[in-house]
Amino acid sequence: MNHRSVRSDMGLIVKTTARATIPLIGIFGAYIVSHGHLTPGGGFQGGATIAGAGVLFLIAFGLEEAKKRYDHHAYSALESLGGLVFLGIAMLGLSVAFFYNMLWRKGIAFAGKPGTLLSAGYLPIMNLAVGLKVFAGLISAMMAISMYRRWKE
Amino acid sequence: MKRTLGALSLLFILGVLLIVAHPNYGLKFGLGGKDWQAYRYTDQYYIEHGVEEVGGTNIVTDIVFDYRGYDTIGEATVLFTAIAGAVALLRPWRREEE
Repeated sequence: MNHRSVRSDMGLIVKTTARATIPLIGIFGAYIVSHGHLTPGGGFQGGATIAGAGVLFLIAFGLEEAKKRYDHHAYSALESLGGLVFLGIAMLGLSVAFFYNMLWRKGIAFAGKPGTLLSAGYLPIMNLAVGLKVFAGLISAMMAISMYRRWKE
Repeated sequence: MKRTLGALSLLFILGVLLIVAHPNYGLKFGLGGKDWQAYRYTDQYYIEHGVEEVGGTNIVTDIVFDYRGYDTIGEATVLFTAIAGAVALLRPWRREEE
């Protein structure tokens, strides 16, 4: 019993189910992020969905397996990168106004017909940035809560 | 008695707020004349002009990332600060030897 509580992973059924569903959750989250300007959803929602796959991984496989695949510095860098890309894209139209959708109004890039994937100017890039930021941030918070425990095991 | 008075005054305040917030005979903010309604109730404008001005067919994303971009920046900052605070607080900052 004591040995079991230290290992803190689940049984075979939960592990197999998690192994099957984690890629599907990740693909669904990536779909929500990348189609954020066409269908309901967006960066925040898709990032939270992908972070849900991380939570499922932590619950099913335990803290030891999650620690091996978690790099604190990499996730900090990813979150900062998401925020910086968001701000940089917002400053792209600074000659007119902050948050001016220069790419769409001048037809520079991502300027296809409305309703196609490569449309809406900076919206897909911003969705990707916010999704990356939310995903990395939620995973960091989850790992901080589960890793840095104060009590003895 | 006191509770009844409190409930009645709450009802009175609610009624005053409902009258004040009514678009036909409530308080009018901003510019005078006829176009105050166009400046205050912007949802119809977003629905009509969102696709051609921003380009996304999801009007919510248009509003969140273009018309109300500052709000999204604040939201991202709140998330960043909350996670930085959580990681900084939960970090093992003092080695307990016992």
